[in-house]
Amino acid sequence: MLAAALTNLPDEQAAVVSPDLPLRANLSARENIALIPLYQKHYDAAESSRQAQVLLDRLGFADIAEKRDPDMSPSERFVTKLARALILKRPKLVIERPGAMLYDIPYPGFIRELASRVDGSAGMWEILDFDWNHSLYD
Amino acid sequence: MEFLLNIIERTGAKTVGWWNASYGVLRFMTEVLSTVANPSAWNRATLDTIVKQIYFTAVQILHVYLIYVTAISWVIITITLSTARNVGLFDAATEMIIRVLLLELLPFLTALLIALRSGSAINTEVALMKVNNELDALSHCKVDPMQFEFLPRIAGGVASVIGLTVTGSVLTIILAYLSIYGLSVTGLSSFSATISSVFSFGVLLGLGLKCAFFGLAVTTLPMAAGLETPKKLFMVPVSVLRGMMRVFLALVLIEVLSLALKYI
Repeated sequence: MLAAALTNLPDEQAAVVSPDLPLRANLSARENIALIPLYQKHYDAAESSRQAQVLLDRLGFADIAEKRDPDMSPSERFVTKLARALILKRPKLVIERPGAMLYDIPYPGFIRELASRVDGSAGMWEILDFDWNHSLYD
Repeated sequence: MEFLLNIIERTGAKTVGWWNASYGVLRFMTEVLSTVANPSAWNRATLDTIVKQIYFTAVQILHVYLIYVTAISWVIITITLSTARNVGLFDAATEMIIRVLLLELLPFLTALLIALRSGSAINTEVALMKVNNELDALSHCKVDPMQFEFLPRIAGGVASVIGLTVTGSVLTIILAYLSIYGLSVTGLSSFSATISSVFSFGVLLGLGLKCAFFGLAVTTLPMAAGLETPKKLFMVPVSVLRGMMRVFLALVLIEVLSLALKYI
């Protein structure tokens, strides 16, 4: 059902953070995020890296910039995916099955905290989670 | 009757499999060519990645390659000179060395080295990217995998095969001269006359094209094999096996065709 909901969202409308959309394993966190301004908005490499680093700083994870996917903790991986989705600057941000990505921390609070750090620049956030997890968000 | 049906079924399955694989390779090649022809694909980011790929494919192995070329060239030059001397064809030795080593053996061995080192790595990486959904993630972010992942590797592979072959050829020419004339400069004019008589425009063009096709084969075929991998981790070794077999067959085919065009 979740997958069906996601396939109905056009790419241009929603940036998705999902366990099914992994990071590029041989790139660092900063390089994964910088790919978007580099290839989509045609900034040069230095400016793209700067934008990626600024985003990581705002999210409070500046020190993970050089880490590659296999060296990241689940929350660091999630933050990198989130930063990659945020830099796409799409009207909607969809977080799909956060429990599958943030299995080591109480994730509703963590996501709320991250959202407050990037308040005003992130469009509308939507979380797709299983029914039995609804109580976690109360 | 059942035996006959089994044979027909197996032959049919193999034919369909072969057809699907060939279609996949052709479709991938078409995508590559249309991206190559698209000027917007050749931006600064793509060129930077191509430079990185040339570094990983050619520059990193340059010292190993030069040792390998020196050893092979020295052995073949020595055998050719000694045989030519024995059969009274020493005057033709320079031309034989150039034709055997520079036009045929070096480009083939260079392509084989890059296939074993970089082609297998490309095949594994693309297969893992496919299995792990990394290509889907790039597409979701509107970063074209063809432009970011594939085109730089192909351009880097072609440039590396050509560049390494040229470097190896220069080294071999120096070795050949030293083996025939030693440190004396007296043979320089006749040696350079033989080289220029062999390297006509047509031969140079053919050599360049052969190297370019070798470069295409050692990069596009492993990529196409990687993209065919079903989303199952245990299929990655099978994908590499298939990809590398196709590369070997393609290299042999290109070499045989080039020989046939030149000498038959």
